[in-house]
Amino acid sequence: MSKYVELRTNLTDERYLVEALREVGYEPEVCPEGRPLVGYVGDQRAERAHVIIPRGQLDAASNEIGFARDNGGVYQAIVSEYDRGIGFNDVWLGRLVQVYKERQTLAVAKAKGYVFKGKEVIHTPQGKKIQLRFAVR
Amino acid sequence: MKEKKIVIEIDEQGNCSMDLEGFQGKGCADVAKDFQGSDVVKNVRNKHEFYIPETVGKKQQQRS
Repeated sequence: MSKYVELRTNLTDERYLVEALREVGYEPEVCPEGRPLVGYVGDQRAERAHVIIPRGQLDAASNEIGFARDNGGVYQAIVSEYDRGIGFNDVWLGRLVQVYKERQTLAVAKAKGYVFKGKEVIHTPQGKKIQLRFAVR
Repeated sequence: MKEKKIVIEIDEQGNCSMDLEGFQGKGCADVAKDFQGSDVVKNVRNKHEFYIPETVGKKQQQRS
């Protein structure tokens, strides 16, 4: 049997989200209970998040960027309009999700005993595509 | 026996595809589930090869 499955990635695992943020250059703060995000003048904002990129790691006029876990266990990005405008937009988020999914896939494969056969980065008009190949023992 | 292969492609828009080859019966769904995790399934289809053995079998039956 041969099957082709298309998926939309959800950020649900804190571990891989933190790893992905580290890979793209940040050291996020993890708050299991969540805390309010801090704005660019040091003000406390209404939004709360569980995984946070502190202001010091962003632009001088940035607000904190947060990932809030919703009732379904999915992390939703909270990015201010200013920060979206300086590059923390859907493109940035998509790349972060790509790193997250790669990390998660490799970890699942290892845990379940699949044999890693290789990784390839494919350049397409829509951007980089990461191809991971596995076999079954 | 055909080798069981899994090819996973992850794009920069938050989409992922899984190409599973050489699996039989429930094994295919189990593998898909392992890698799917909590992702949302957008589309699932059996590939062209999936239909070939049955078609060949039917033709052979008609001939005999």
